[in-house]
Amino acid sequence: MTELANIQRWLTSIIVKPGALNDKIRLADDYYNLDNSEVVQATLRQTSAQKIEIYARGYILRLMECMEAEYPAVCKLLGEELFHTFVRAYLIEQPSTSPDLYDLGKNFATFLKASQPKNTEQSNDFDLPVELAILERALAEISRVKGLEGRTVKPNYLNDLLYLFDTTNIQASPGLILLNLSWPLAGYVKAVYQTQEPVIPGKKDSFLAVSRNHYRINFQEIEQWQWCFLQSLQTANNYTEAVRIAAEQCAIPQDTLMADLILWISVALNFGYIYKNE
Amino acid sequence: MSITDTNRLGLPNLGLGVGLRSKHYSHLMQNDPVVDWFEIISENYINNFGYGRHVLEHICAVRPVVMHGVSMSIGSTDPLNLGYLKQLKELADFVKPVWISDHLCWTGVAHLNTHDLLPLPLTLESLQHVSDRVNQVQDILQRPLILENPSTYMEFQSSTLHEWEFMTELVNKTGCGLLLDVNNVFVSGFNHGFDPEFYIRNIPHKAVVQMHVAGPTDCDTYLLDTHDQPVPTQVWHLYKLAQELTGGVSTLLEWDANIPEYPELVAEVQKAKQVMQGYIPEVPVHRTPYVDAVSNPVDHQVQITHD
Repeated sequence: MTELANIQRWLTSIIVKPGALNDKIRLADDYYNLDNSEVVQATLRQTSAQKIEIYARGYILRLMECMEAEYPAVCKLLGEELFHTFVRAYLIEQPSTSPDLYDLGKNFATFLKASQPKNTEQSNDFDLPVELAILERALAEISRVKGLEGRTVKPNYLNDLLYLFDTTNIQASPGLILLNLSWPLAGYVKAVYQTQEPVIPGKKDSFLAVSRNHYRINFQEIEQWQWCFLQSLQTANNYTEAVRIAAEQCAIPQDTLMADLILWISVALNFGYIYKNE
Repeated sequence: MSITDTNRLGLPNLGLGVGLRSKHYSHLMQNDPVVDWFEIISENYINNFGYGRHVLEHICAVRPVVMHGVSMSIGSTDPLNLGYLKQLKELADFVKPVWISDHLCWTGVAHLNTHDLLPLPLTLESLQHVSDRVNQVQDILQRPLILENPSTYMEFQSSTLHEWEFMTELVNKTGCGLLLDVNNVFVSGFNHGFDPEFYIRNIPHKAVVQMHVAGPTDCDTYLLDTHDQPVPTQVWHLYKLAQELTGGVSTLLEWDANIPEYPELVAEVQKAKQVMQGYIPEVPVHRTPYVDAVSNPVDHQVQITHD
């Protein structure tokens, strides 16, 4: 290994690894056969360790701010102190390996889930921050995907109700995210985003659609049959087949579901859950 | 004042610009940008096809845009990230930037990314290593790479070159351009005890394509490059000197945390005109008693934006 490579590995290990600074420096010195006081030039104002500390502290603070930006609702729910504890542990377990900061928080929900205590009666309640993290990550994803914008939309299509008779080209929108959660969390997240005091909802099966239309991000709780229809449309990519599957899943007659769809489908178009592929 | 040379690698002086930040998207979609040009953080728009990309497309249509990256890690001993460079080139095909810049630094090693701009030992080994990589990148991007001097908080005892010497040799070896961040020179000068004016007088002025100004934070025993304050008097003095020595190059105000409303941002960068007429604003360096100030703030990169 070259001297440059050795120094870079030495400094990276101090910055990224957990523990007290002096312990981290001593371990790195031993492992890479370096002496921090001989590597980093001390000045009258600062020792070599104090200079290293600027980078070590900055690493955590910088990425903490990124996680707070992506997960404000989880932070609100847990409180800053606990949220920071989880983020520190997350960064230790899964330090960033991507040049793209967008990737930093992608496994946070999975991490939170894995960090839950096992075999306790309360374990289901610990899923609340996990599900919030799932929803906030979905919002991050939908904000960046290639969406409907820029696609040719049939003129007056939304107004002339032609979709009632011409459903062959109706498809689930690119990027549409469907979540089946144990709490209705849309209101909580919206309150946090609007800097209002959020109310923790009671536990209740929730069917959520996360979409984007004209760059506007939508996340709404929808009916189970609507959710099943959209999910079926994503996989089957065929309107009639999606109706059949959803009717079967929800144990409702197909013609009933089709009648309900006639009333709802313009809403689905407006929210960007579906679109008509030209 | 000394003789000036305005080569700038043949690249234009774009005037006064600001960074494109999500906080100002809505304003910029409805109002004249006022400034002459914009700098984007490349990583904000790679793989981002949402509202941010839409705003970027609008801005590209009305003003020149420059791409400024934070993840090339040109000094790392890891192999160059060719996937990242491919994405950077794809973004450049979309943006058609006037130039592409990054930092003289490394961001991590062993495939870890600290998302910080870490300093290099300024040795002949590092010089050869970085030169080889700059040449590779320039071959891939098919254009000169513009490299910025970072703010640094440590120097290596093994360094045998001053940063201005390293930059000069790098330009000689690769033909790259320089993004002279006068705030970073001020910060590093304070932290390492060198004269920032001497630094600025001794870089290759012909290679300077762009300048950054920003406001740092005084943390008592060191200065931190926080990009969250108005530009202080000392930085404006250095800016004036650098503009005179280079013959005038594109100027960009960096402001990445506590970002003000757009009109205030524009007013801050417009101070550069007064500075060049000799009116230097009296602005002290912001001091903080807190230890949680963050250098190179990046959280603006992950904030969700939508209309």
